[in-house]
Amino acid sequence: MDSGTLGIIFDAMPMLIEGVKLTVIYSIAAIIPATIVGLIFALLKLSSLGFLRRIGEVYVHVFRGLPLLVVIFYIYFAVPHVLPMHAWFGDSYRFIAAIIALTLNEGAYITEIIRAGILSIDHGQTEAAYSIGMNKFQAMRFIILPQAFKRMIPPLMNQFIQTIKDTSLLSAISVAELTRQGQIYISTSFAALQIWTAVAIMYLIVILSLTAISTKLERRWQIDKR
Amino acid sequence: MISVRNITKKFGHLTVLTDVSLEVAPQEVVVIIGPSGSGKSTFLRCLNGLEKVTKGEIFINNVEITHSKTNLSKVRKEVGMVFQRFNLFQHLTALQNITIGPVEVLKLSKKEAEDRAYALLEKVGLKDKAHSYPDQLSGGQQQRVAIARALAMNPIVMLFDEPTSALDPEMVGEVLAVMKDLAKEGMTMLVVTHEMGFAREVGDRVLFMDEGRIVEEGKPSELFGNPKEERTKLFLSKIL
Ligand SMILES: Nc1ncnc2c1ncn2[C@@H]1O[C@H](COP(=O)(O)OP(=O)(O)O)[C@@H](O)[C@H]1O
Ligand SMILES: [Mg+2]
Repeated sequence: MDSGTLGIIFDAMPMLIEGVKLTVIYSIAAIIPATIVGLIFALLKLSSLGFLRRIGEVYVHVFRGLPLLVVIFYIYFAVPHVLPMHAWFGDSYRFIAAIIALTLNEGAYITEIIRAGILSIDHGQTEAAYSIGMNKFQAMRFIILPQAFKRMIPPLMNQFIQTIKDTSLLSAISVAELTRQGQIYISTSFAALQIWTAVAIMYLIVILSLTAISTKLERRWQIDKR
Repeated sequence: MISVRNITKKFGHLTVLTDVSLEVAPQEVVVIIGPSGSGKSTFLRCLNGLEKVTKGEIFINNVEITHSKTNLSKVRKEVGMVFQRFNLFQHLTALQNITIGPVEVLKLSKKEAEDRAYALLEKVGLKDKAHSYPDQLSGGQQQRVAIARALAMNPIVMLFDEPTSALDPEMVGEVLAVMKDLAKEGMTMLVVTHEMGFAREVGDRVLFMDEGRIVEEGKPSELFGNPKEERTKLFLSKIL
């Protein structure tokens, strides 16, 4: 890198920081509904009713089977042909489509994480809960989920990291997140090496901070909460 | 108090209980013995609805629990169960294990539930372990907490499924002592156990089960001292 490198990076920094902000906002906006969707479909997949289980299975198969980019394109470009999304939502449809696509995709993986977490808890715990008069809902809420949640933290953190990385695909529908900001800057400056290096480092900073937070959380849970 | 009328239980094609009937009076202590796989656990599990019977009826305090409209959670509040492997809630302290039922199911205030829990911990000799987690307790201590957890619901009958068979020998006594106290206080109990001393001391009746049937029953002294059926004799000769 020549002496202009630092100058270019300084010049690009405001744009890249805007990009990081959107990357974080989109990630959080997707992780929360994806976790709720994952919990709902995990419970469906564990239901004693066959048709509910089937719904859960179909959901996971479909959204684990589709490339995320295709889901993003489908929701952003294809769905408006059948529903007047742009009339309803205007410019915010870009954001809505992005969050729906990410939620559906990450939710399918989170479904499996939560299901596996619940199944890893000894059935004796459920029976003991029933034996003191708890119903299914209470047994799940007070006995199974708190124990399963602890075991789900590491795989959920992996999935959250995956989600942050997946937001880079949103550049394909012009969401101005980090990757997109890099592309835009390069298209006028041609400083590919400098900018992609800066972009890569900024992704790592975001993801390593999340990893640090999760390690701390995990340790705290292990100590106070069991 | 408990009336079991001709129940049959099948798992698929496997018949585990065949035409079992039993009447248990209030305050009675009934001990159930029998070889492994004879259906003892399944029988107890049918009594609190953890397993559904294939045929027959079970009444507890005149409520038919085998009726499809019966609210099983309601029944289970009144039927305490103690498991071979304790099944304490691993993420809760001994105290919380005992209070969670009264608070969440019986809707007692936290204060009332804790008062009740401390009294029960005292009764089972574990007041100083209130804030310990299950994995910090010995097997005998865990089982005593499990008994306290069941008692906190004020059950009208207690079911014990081999409560001491997962314990090291030196811990069996402390659990049996708690159970003997309960029996003496007049709790109605059904106990699957091979602890003959316990059966003789507090058992009003002993049932011998084999291949899903009650083969023989009688007072402990009669059944142990003078068994009538060949199968009972054979079984007793193996365990005594
Ligand atoms: N959930 C189940 N599904 C299928 N078979 C079972 C189930 N529970 C118990 N059994 C079978 O029922 C029989 C009786 O088991 P159990 O009641 O546990 O006997 P015991 O407690 O006397 O040892 C055994 O053959 C066992 O394999
Ligand atoms: Mg058994």
